[in-house]
Amino acid sequence: MTSPSVSDRFATSKTRALVAAVVIALCLYALQFVTIDGMQSLLDVTRQSAARVPTFFVRITLLLCALAAAFIFITSLSFYKRNKVAVAPWLFLFVGLVLFMIYVIVPIFQSISYSFTRWDGLYDINGVWTGKWVGFHNYKLLFQDPNFYTSLKNNLWWLVLFMLAVPIGLFIALFLNQTVTGIRIYKSLFFFPFVISQVVVGLIFAWAYNPEFGLLSEIWSWFFCETKTNIVGNLTRVCSPEPPSILGDENTATFGIIAAGLWPQIAYCMILYLTGLNNISSDQIEAGRLDGAKGWKMLRHVILPQLKPATFIAIVVTVIGALRSFDMIATMTQGGPFGSSNVLAYYMYDQAVGEGVGRYGYGSAIATVLFLIMLVYISYFLWRMYQDEVEAR
Amino acid sequence: MFPRPIEKSSFAVRTLYKLSLPIALLIWLLPLLAIFMTSIRPASDIATGNVFGIPSSFQLIRNYGEVFAKTDALRYLFNTLLIALPTMIISVALACLTGYALAVYKFRWALPIFFLFVAGNFVPFQILMLPVVDMSNRLDIINTVPGLVMFHAAFQTGFCTLFMRNFIKALPFELIESARLEGVDEFKIFWHLVLPLVKPAIAALCVLIFTFIWNDFFWATVLLRDDSTLPITVGVRTLNGEFVQQWHLVSAASLLAAIPPVIMFFVMQKHFIAGLTLGATKG
Repeated sequence: MTSPSVSDRFATSKTRALVAAVVIALCLYALQFVTIDGMQSLLDVTRQSAARVPTFFVRITLLLCALAAAFIFITSLSFYKRNKVAVAPWLFLFVGLVLFMIYVIVPIFQSISYSFTRWDGLYDINGVWTGKWVGFHNYKLLFQDPNFYTSLKNNLWWLVLFMLAVPIGLFIALFLNQTVTGIRIYKSLFFFPFVISQVVVGLIFAWAYNPEFGLLSEIWSWFFCETKTNIVGNLTRVCSPEPPSILGDENTATFGIIAAGLWPQIAYCMILYLTGLNNISSDQIEAGRLDGAKGWKMLRHVILPQLKPATFIAIVVTVIGALRSFDMIATMTQGGPFGSSNVLAYYMYDQAVGEGVGRYGYGSAIATVLFLIMLVYISYFLWRMYQDEVEAR
Repeated sequence: MFPRPIEKSSFAVRTLYKLSLPIALLIWLLPLLAIFMTSIRPASDIATGNVFGIPSSFQLIRNYGEVFAKTDALRYLFNTLLIALPTMIISVALACLTGYALAVYKFRWALPIFFLFVAGNFVPFQILMLPVVDMSNRLDIINTVPGLVMFHAAFQTGFCTLFMRNFIKALPFELIESARLEGVDEFKIFWHLVLPLVKPAIAALCVLIFTFIWNDFFWATVLLRDDSTLPITVGVRTLNGEFVQQWHLVSAASLLAAIPPVIMFFVMQKHFIAGLTLGATKG
């Protein structure tokens, strides 16, 4: 009675497989007819660019149909039915992994290979790559480029000063970790700056730093300025010394941007620590209190060890945030004045696609250096994760 | 609780604490408050130097109305939605699948692939920039919203997978095991058993990804050039260049750009924080 049903369960469902295979073939066959020219005539639009998005959607739809059919095809095979647990994860992974490979993993290696070429990003009329292989030439140029060293130095400043976000975040978290009425609203309002786009934060601070009518000049005027009546009879402000132009000064621009960047980053670290503090075992605190630990001693020996996971994540996100700093520099100074507030991320962008430059090879060399710096932290993070995984087993 | 609960302190300390809270908050949010005040004052105030005092008249509606009337802010906002929502749906959906595969199945490649997602998630954008631009060029999807969505979705899949995998890993595995023993198909287990359990993770990821993409600036500047496709972050920067002398409008536009993520945060606060503090609590 049971034997035919068991063998049925593992047999290939032939009709299903056949239908699916036909659908795959049809979709893939149809795919080559979906061209921009074809869509242009079909939609009766004059501009090619107007036909680009519909073309894209039709292509994607066909691909998805083919994928779905492929899925049905595989699941109707006897091989799948026998090896479900071995095959299923790959079916689950397929789309996500392929997309991630195409857009993230492969480009890393492509970028590294670009860095050994001289290329302006163009192809000739036949679609042939116009670049030239130049070996380590870009790196040689890079190590003679004073702008590169400025950017590298600024990146170091970012890394070092951005770390302030961790202790300040902890401090604010300790300050807010109480249970008075309305404290939840305070906590969310303190977290507020993190939610705002970095572009907006950059604009806010660029305005705050403005020496003529910014927030800082206003505070400055409370201490150093007096209002006088000038010859014409109007009220003018006379300040000595003059309010500083933070973003206009080569020596202070980077620090002005870092301070602005710290604002949301502190908020992030604060929320990490608040969650961490929430999960601390009260037994240990009580035990510590019985032993007479108080204040700093308690923090140092009882609380901080328990906050280790929070500290770890806080440091990781802060390092990544420091090395990724781009939006604020783009909105606040664009690397200026005279390249003094450049970082690798912005300098790369500027060299590769900045106005009239188009140095893909050189830009890729900068990106590769940035990537290698980041790789140190990524490896460390993965290593820590690996330790956790091994422990969990 | 640490520090020692303030209720146990003397009345003076408690009052001092309660007084210091709003003051600290005021200092903390001072830049934001100042820009809000600027956004509701008339242009004449800024010209006469009344930047911080009481506005000579309150022009909340007029200034914000002017932003919509004079600029493309509305279209920028709409474009941002067009970018953020599909990205959110695609990357969270894909991450449910990949996260499930990496958490539930014990195959040799599970950990290496998981680490691949994690590592890719942390790389600097600049190392991806030129190949992605080149590829989008050749696929002819550069300068289009779907092109940007494709990239964002692929990239965010990394973070979502990290989150999802850890979340599913924490679910009781016996549940899946027993379903398997009953002969339930792998995909049915995923759909009927696991998916309902990961709803909180889906919510958290949706909120986070939406905010990340809403605030994205870099990829939009790299992959979009056409003014009609730009999102609000790039739009606001452009406005900043155009309206040099009209700070009240620039600040109003900046705040407009910030409002949706802020609403998202306040409405979905629990999920938002759960997403951000991922891993910060487990030992």
